[in-house]
Amino acid sequence: MQTANRKPLRMAKREALYGYLFISPWLIGFIIFTIGPMLASLYFSFTDYDVVNPPTWVGLANYEKIFSGIPDAIRTQSSEPLGDPLFWKSLQVTLYFAMMALPLGLIVSFVLAILLNQKIPGVNLWRTIYFLPSVIAGVAVTILWVRIFNPRIGILNSILDIFGINGPGWLTSPDWAVPALVIMSLWAIGGGMIIYLAGLQGVPTDLYDAAKVDGANLFQRFRNITLPMMTPVIFYELVLSLIATFQYFTEAYVASNGTGGPVRSTLFYNLYLYQNAFKYFDMGYASSMAWILFIVVLVLTILVFRSSQYWVFYEGQLRGRK
Amino acid sequence: MKRLFLILNLVLIGSIIIGACGSPTTEVSSPEAPVTTTEPVASEEPILTEAPATDKAKVVVFVGMGTGTDPDQIDAQMELQEKFNSTHADIEVEFLIVPHEESGTRFLAMVSGGTAPELVGPNGVETSATYLDLWADITPYIEAENFDTSDFYGPAVELNTYPDKNTGLPLGLYPSFIFYNKDLFDAAGLPYPTHDFADENWTMDKLREYAMQLTLDANGNNATSPDFDPTNIVQWGYDDSWEGMRGVLGMWGAENVARPTTADYKTAIANSPEWVYGLNWLSNGIWEDHFIPDLAGQEAYGAVGNDPFGGGLIAMFYSYTWFFAEGLVELPFEYDIAPLPYNQKGARISRIDADNFTISSNAANQDAAWEVMKWLTDPEQIVDVCLIYGCIPARKSVAEEFRSVLEERWPGLDYNVVFNSIDYLDNPNHESYLPEWGRVEEALNNSLGMIYSGENTNAQEVLDQVNTEIQAILDEYWAGQ
Repeated sequence: MQTANRKPLRMAKREALYGYLFISPWLIGFIIFTIGPMLASLYFSFTDYDVVNPPTWVGLANYEKIFSGIPDAIRTQSSEPLGDPLFWKSLQVTLYFAMMALPLGLIVSFVLAILLNQKIPGVNLWRTIYFLPSVIAGVAVTILWVRIFNPRIGILNSILDIFGINGPGWLTSPDWAVPALVIMSLWAIGGGMIIYLAGLQGVPTDLYDAAKVDGANLFQRFRNITLPMMTPVIFYELVLSLIATFQYFTEAYVASNGTGGPVRSTLFYNLYLYQNAFKYFDMGYASSMAWILFIVVLVLTILVFRSSQYWVFYEGQLRGRK
Repeated sequence: MKRLFLILNLVLIGSIIIGACGSPTTEVSSPEAPVTTTEPVASEEPILTEAPATDKAKVVVFVGMGTGTDPDQIDAQMELQEKFNSTHADIEVEFLIVPHEESGTRFLAMVSGGTAPELVGPNGVETSATYLDLWADITPYIEAENFDTSDFYGPAVELNTYPDKNTGLPLGLYPSFIFYNKDLFDAAGLPYPTHDFADENWTMDKLREYAMQLTLDANGNNATSPDFDPTNIVQWGYDDSWEGMRGVLGMWGAENVARPTTADYKTAIANSPEWVYGLNWLSNGIWEDHFIPDLAGQEAYGAVGNDPFGGGLIAMFYSYTWFFAEGLVELPFEYDIAPLPYNQKGARISRIDADNFTISSNAANQDAAWEVMKWLTDPEQIVDVCLIYGCIPARKSVAEEFRSVLEERWPGLDYNVVFNSIDYLDNPNHESYLPEWGRVEEALNNSLGMIYSGENTNAQEVLDQVNTEIQAILDEYWAGQ
């Protein structure tokens, strides 16, 4: 009896060992290339570190500079009063972008997925066409969009001109630069669209059939069946998009030539962090910014997770209640 | 089967660990393959595939902070390297070409890794100022050898001289002047700008007057016409938009010329009356007189290969000698160069760019680096070196030789303008040292962006605001000292 008990235990241990061995390449990489640098950056965030000289421990000075600014003792009358104004500016730019790009990206990709879930001729071709742009992203696409947005020779203003609309300066205008980047961000909605499409195809058709029998119209079917059944996918997309939005960098860097211009209108959080690290070589300050970003994203993600119990519907969960 | 997977997995992990711990791949620096890897290169290890002579002192010349990374320049530098190595028994030179975008990070990585390159260059004044703490002082070498610097242009020596050190021997200068399109002047019925440096009628007001007549809308009306349409400009009279705030405002005669602080770097004076006057001149030129393109107008340059002068969009373009190679290539119109006009105070301050090579203060072979620096700036070599980088040699003795080279390459230009402009350089220079150089530059150029974009066209307000910002940066810097 004892032997019979020991065997499965040994087997379970061996399987666990195999499991760890199989995932060990990733684990080792994660520890060396992710956890290691993370811990290093946490340490650097409490130091004054210019890359050339050894880091000097400064305690919370970097964090203090962000939130309180330079100490009163050294502040002249004309100095900025509160915190690092560029830190707050960069946070403001990022939130402004997130408030537009996040809902717009979620809605447009969802609507597109619904349209491409219909029985229309050549639907696979249409799906491919809408998905393709998301495969090409980054620097090349941004350069392409910079050209499209060119207020003098860009195609966008040329089209607006046909309709008698005097197009804005887009990336050359402090007011229009972020909206332009929001429009640019729609280029890559194909990835989200595919995930929504997969979710839509997983909605049981008998639910629609039953609703039709009960006399539900198209809107009612969407409101009461499609939307609730899709909430787990929407939730998943929301979390990923939220994190990606706060990490927005490449497009802003390329479009503004690394300056965050015009007039700091595209000074995204990560761009300012990059400037501190690799332009001003203030690695300690940049590290503290990185950890603040980490905490902000973590808190927002936790809030989204907490809120999910009020609006995300899991089919299995409902069955369980039954 | 499981065992097989286990063995394969162990082999995989083992190879990853061995790969991660192994020695870095040897870099090959060649004209065809500029160095692009991010790992610092140990100076003891060979970069070239050829085996180095062990008894030679190696001098790594780090190129990428400024010019020198174009394919033809890389070829030429390899030839220079070969020339030096074949004529020197005790020193081996090795040009390390790094893409410009990653040069700063790479250089600092090498310094912090204890493998600082011996020589860095060609550096503009900006690079010399930004990394000032990392350069060795060459004064002891000059004094020990009683090295004669009298052949260098005085201003060129001054640009490398700081209170506590001399950062390097001057290599080249890039004087600035007005490039003008003669065809557009002819079409407007205007006389060409004078080439006479003594002509005091050639002022910034006169330039404005010409520029307005040279600015045309799509209907052919110039900026002085009541029918002029400022929303549809196709040709502008003047442009200096490739320059930052300090360069743009240094010409207006402020006490500290192009430096936005007092001489002790403790007080911001970016809102000096002269700078306000200059920025107001620019703002009015863009938004009231319309002879200077705003930010949106500058986007038209994209249609002409980002070359506003060569594309025929600008009648008068303020730039440097480095623009010869960049912008004066088979232009379909007649052009020439003229001195920068006198400012509102009756002075001419014509900004200048300059190049030098600097020795890293913690490099291994500094004595050998000094020898290479001397060789690169020697009268025998300096013309060839400057031809690679596009600068005017900083030695007076080779001026005529270089002038004839220029005349052959770009015939018909008045080269007196080039050489005479050196006498009117900006000092303190528009790229000269400042504490927290990068942050101050960012603040200033952000303010310039306000004017160009129309976000705030009030020069006094813009400069008052940036002055406050710079003062905060200086306060913080000095508090940390």
